[in-house]
Amino acid sequence: MSLRQTRILYRACWTIALLIAAIPFIFPFIWMVSAGFKSVTEIFGAPSLIPRVWRWENFVEVFTYQPFARQYFNSLYIAILVTGLTLVISSLAGYALARMRFAGAALLMLFLISALMVPEEVTIIPNFFLMRWFGLVDTHWPLILLPTFGPQGVMATFLMRQYFLALPKELEEAGKMDGLTRFGVWWKIALPMSRPALAAVAIITFLHSWNLFLEPLIFVSSLEMFTLPLALSNFNDSYGLPLWNLQLAATSLAVVPILIVYLIAQRQIIESFALSGVKG
Amino acid sequence: MTDSIHITRRGGQKSRLTLKAREMMEAWLFVSPTVIGFIIFFLGPLLAVAYYSLTEWNLLTQQATFVGLANFENALLENPDFWHVVRNSVIFALGLVPLNMALALTLALALSRPFRGVVFFRTVFFAPVVTSAIAWAIVWKFMLQGEGGFINQVLALVGISGPNWLREPNWAMAAVIITRVIKMVGLNMILYIAALQAIPRDYEEAARLEGASRRQIFSMITWPLLAPATLVIMVITTIGSFKVFDHIYQMTGGGPENGTLVLAFYIYQQGFKFFNVGYASTLAMIMFAIVMVLTLVQVALRRKGME
Amino acid sequence: MRAALTGIVASALTLLMTTTSALATDLRMTVWTGSEAHLKMLNGIAESFKARHPDVNVKFETVPVNDYTQKLTFQVAGGNPPDIAWMMEDAAPAFENANLLMDLGPTLKAAEGYDFADFSQPAMGLWQKGETVYGIPFSTSPFMIYYNKDMFDKAGLEDPLALAAKGEWNMTKFQQVAKKLTEANPGKWGFEFKDGEGYASRMTHALLPPIRAYGGDIWSNEECGFDKPEAVAAIKQLHDMVFKDKSIVPPGEQGDYFSGNSAMTVNQISRASKMAEAGFNWGIAPLPGGPGGESPVIGQAGLVVFDQGKNKEIAAEFVAHMTNKENVATMAQFFPPARKSVLEADAFISGNKLVPPEMMKNVAAAIANGRVHPAHEKAPQLLAAMAPRVDALWKADADVDQAIKGICSAIQPLL
Repeated sequence: MSLRQTRILYRACWTIALLIAAIPFIFPFIWMVSAGFKSVTEIFGAPSLIPRVWRWENFVEVFTYQPFARQYFNSLYIAILVTGLTLVISSLAGYALARMRFAGAALLMLFLISALMVPEEVTIIPNFFLMRWFGLVDTHWPLILLPTFGPQGVMATFLMRQYFLALPKELEEAGKMDGLTRFGVWWKIALPMSRPALAAVAIITFLHSWNLFLEPLIFVSSLEMFTLPLALSNFNDSYGLPLWNLQLAATSLAVVPILIVYLIAQRQIIESFALSGVKG
Repeated sequence: MTDSIHITRRGGQKSRLTLKAREMMEAWLFVSPTVIGFIIFFLGPLLAVAYYSLTEWNLLTQQATFVGLANFENALLENPDFWHVVRNSVIFALGLVPLNMALALTLALALSRPFRGVVFFRTVFFAPVVTSAIAWAIVWKFMLQGEGGFINQVLALVGISGPNWLREPNWAMAAVIITRVIKMVGLNMILYIAALQAIPRDYEEAARLEGASRRQIFSMITWPLLAPATLVIMVITTIGSFKVFDHIYQMTGGGPENGTLVLAFYIYQQGFKFFNVGYASTLAMIMFAIVMVLTLVQVALRRKGME
Repeated sequence: MRAALTGIVASALTLLMTTTSALATDLRMTVWTGSEAHLKMLNGIAESFKARHPDVNVKFETVPVNDYTQKLTFQVAGGNPPDIAWMMEDAAPAFENANLLMDLGPTLKAAEGYDFADFSQPAMGLWQKGETVYGIPFSTSPFMIYYNKDMFDKAGLEDPLALAAKGEWNMTKFQQVAKKLTEANPGKWGFEFKDGEGYASRMTHALLPPIRAYGGDIWSNEECGFDKPEAVAAIKQLHDMVFKDKSIVPPGEQGDYFSGNSAMTVNQISRASKMAEAGFNWGIAPLPGGPGGESPVIGQAGLVVFDQGKNKEIAAEFVAHMTNKENVATMAQFFPPARKSVLEADAFISGNKLVPPEMMKNVAAAIANGRVHPAHEKAPQLLAAMAPRVDALWKADADVDQAIKGICSAIQPLL
């Protein structure tokens, strides 16, 4: 066998191995969508990916058993608000930490780094009482405030700081010479140059908020106020009887749009996460 | 306010100190939203939870009494559940972290160089990362049902009688770990790919010219150069494994026979299901301590290894 | 794109504003039903309240049933309790003992034409302490056997209703019938525990009826009842049925009665509304009797008013309105009443659109003779302490005696 042939064979082996490894990563999605079209009996019947009877009505009933459209909207607007707030706050702080010298900066960095290590579960109980004190239990505020200012927000701040550090200073200096204030430099020069970092923060923050579970579980109680993950985990009829096929249909409705966006922008999304891990 | 700074600078009459003081004030203004939020929603609660851990506090009746270290005594010495839960959390971490990292590194090595299909594979292995943990757990819970579950039906086709995955404590733990690894491995894979791509190709070329085998190149060059990334990934993954909540909540609810009852879930159960705010806070403090110690140990070990 | 975003943000903000403010005359009542028929009926009752209190609006808020008590606790502990709430039987003691509930006694007894004594005394047991009335049961619903007539016919068996009429419907017969049904309907089961949740959230609902039929109880007088001989016999029979006869849907399998995969199940009368779309012939029969005689089990739910509420006086009046004779009769179509006058009325037996009178008779009898599920202040802890031991019980190779001892040693300290 020639060297070329061995290389081709070698590569083919690798590709086949990767294809097999990919099965448990793709298959759940396919199964989910297929089961979303089935009846309960068929879901637990003989394994088949093509439903014997396509129950399109599952996807309609999802909206009648729960205020699913409202829950969808809740998740969407909360994620957008959190993303917007995080972008502003983290880029402000990240800029100051990267570019400005001030007393207490080192200490602040240390505090913020330690926050990254602490699981949300540790502070969830006092935060419950804090929200109670603000009168915000059973509103959406905790789902907006906690991710924005908690470890997730801190992570965004670090990401922004690292990015600003890597930017060349010259343009900003020039801006200052032209009479821009600090704020002006941040807004007119630094921010436009850091689009990739802002996009990364936006993507990660949005997904984090979209998938948030512990906080909604504790702070929100009525069906109308539910967010998607909470609604999915509790898909029952009025008597608490689980609606298996509707749950899977609803899960498909919640997951597939995100997957489509992911497939379109996969490069950008994957890079965003790479940025967050290495730098954070 | 910002205008006045501008004028001062133009004038150039004021002393440098004032300029510095202004810069400092500006800087604090920039970080103030982060700092204020951090104090209110993180630092304050962290101090509060330390205090709560010394009380007996019922969520329903709202009556709190100071009990000193009684909760810690109860957890560490008296309550057998506590050590069972710690054991579960440790098993979960010991199962998840090595499996996740080994798989992530393998995939990264396979996918760090461009070839036809590389984007496809990266996209596929990363897809579960963007999916909600609840959705992921819902789907796997169905597929892991007893005889009617898809996995066991497929196993039956090849003549294997699969276990009742989520009803046997050990199998349930294994199932939870494996499905979690599949969910999260893409993130570590990407981090490893980024680290691999940062290694200059010359090193490898030079080693190859000197006749080093693939394995030698990996163990002598690639792996040592990956050390910083490995540390970061290990810390992130370990912390992540201790805070896993939604996955367990949806797949097993801590069962069967408390076989998957891990620390994060136990805190939720004690605080919000049984209303023992004090005891739950004690557990939260213990969790905090465990995560801190683990992080420091990993950093220290790595530092020692590098010397 | 930008306009759309602004729109979303703006409407989001208004949403946030409106959810935190409340008008003084709005009463908020949490319920666990999201059923349109139920809500329509409830809103009708709220509408009729306006005749006397035109300025009072009652808003019904659906909290999902599975986490209901917990979510209610979050609202109370979060300083945001509803004015009125449906409350499950197992949660009542904890809320009563925490002094969170208002004494409804004075308001109810003062209400015109209310006739407080009309409520059957056993039904009030859970909601009354001395003279203090913590709540009023709005649903006193017995556990019944639902059966799939088609599957019985296929197996050539007499159905439970006929057997009960002959006085032959007991635990032994139940086991025989379930086994034959399973054999005659391959791939299906003879019996499914309540809502298919017998190994999880409804573990006590699965065990209680047979234990009662054998003359035992799950606990009573602060003492564990699982290890008493009667209970042991009942649990052993169930264990045999699951793992030897394979006639009960086993753990980890789905054998939904309502989709025709099990021939029998246990459930309450409210679930009859689900049968309309079931697509098979069905019926309702009493629970099988046993050595302990006939011992129906009742599930209860009550209406309570929170003491912290600003409008608790009006809220109490609304409870009085909702549970007066007329409205109890209205609600009886879904929620079996605890008022003797309504229970004995012809309308209750013969007026149900879904269930024929000969079956409703059994329902009424079960309400009259039934006993509620044992309650306890620490119900959530008890369930959590039991859960791992009950998991150990439901295995083919389990040592049943050992598992039962485990259950008792786990819950005895809490009792």
